[in-house]
Amino acid sequence: MLKPHRVLADKISSYADEASAFMRRRRHHRRPYIRIQYRDGNAIELHPEEPGSEQIMAAVTGLLELSP
Amino acid sequence: MSWAVCSYIVPPKAKSNPGPEGPARPEKLAELSQLALDTLAGLEPELRAAAVISHTGEVLATTTEGEAWGRAAVELLEALEKAGPGDLDSSHITTGDAEVFMVREAGLALVAVTARFVLASLTSFDVRMSLRDIAAEIAAGGDPNA
Repeated sequence: MLKPHRVLADKISSYADEASAFMRRRRHHRRPYIRIQYRDGNAIELHPEEPGSEQIMAAVTGLLELSP
Repeated sequence: MSWAVCSYIVPPKAKSNPGPEGPARPEKLAELSQLALDTLAGLEPELRAAAVISHTGEVLATTTEGEAWGRAAVELLEALEKAGPGDLDSSHITTGDAEVFMVREAGLALVAVTARFVLASLTSFDVRMSLRDIAAEIAAGGDPNA
C-alpha cells in the first residue's frame, strides 16, 4: 500500500501533467499557419513568419481588416 | 430489428466543367454565386464574409456590401497562386482570431473568412459543395430562381 503522502504527490503530479498537456494542445491549436493544397495532391505548409509567406499574410491582413 | 442508418450524400461532381467560357451568362453566374453564398451563410453560422471569384479574377458575388472585400479576396487568391508552382486546389489559413478558406472548383474560386476554431474539414467541404452546386446548376442549365 502506498503511503498517503505519495498518493497525494501522485495526484498533484497527474493534475500538473494534465494541465501542461492542455496548455500544449492549446498552444498548438492557436499556432497560425498557412496550408496550401494543389491539384496533384501535393500540399505545403508555411509558417506566417517564413520568407515566402509575407505576401499571403499581407493579403490576409487586408482581408480581415475589411471583414465584418 | 432496425438499424440506425447515418448517411451523408455527396452530390456528384458536375460532368461538364462549365468553366469561365461556359454557356452561362455572366449575370446568371453572378446570381447563382449569390445564391450559393446565401446557402453557405445558412450552413456556416461562424461565416464572417465570403466571395465567389471567376477564373479571370472577376468578383461574381460577395456577402459584404461594396467591392473592397471582393478585391481583397482576389489579392489573396493571387498571393496564393504565387506561393507555389502547382495548380492551386485549396488553402486554409489561420490567424489569431480568424480562419480563411479558399477552394477552387469548376473554374471558380470561393474565399471565406470564418471565426476562429471552426471545424476546418467541414467548412472546406461546405465551401467546395457550394462551388459544385453552382457548377451543377450551370451544367443543368437550370434557372436559379426555380
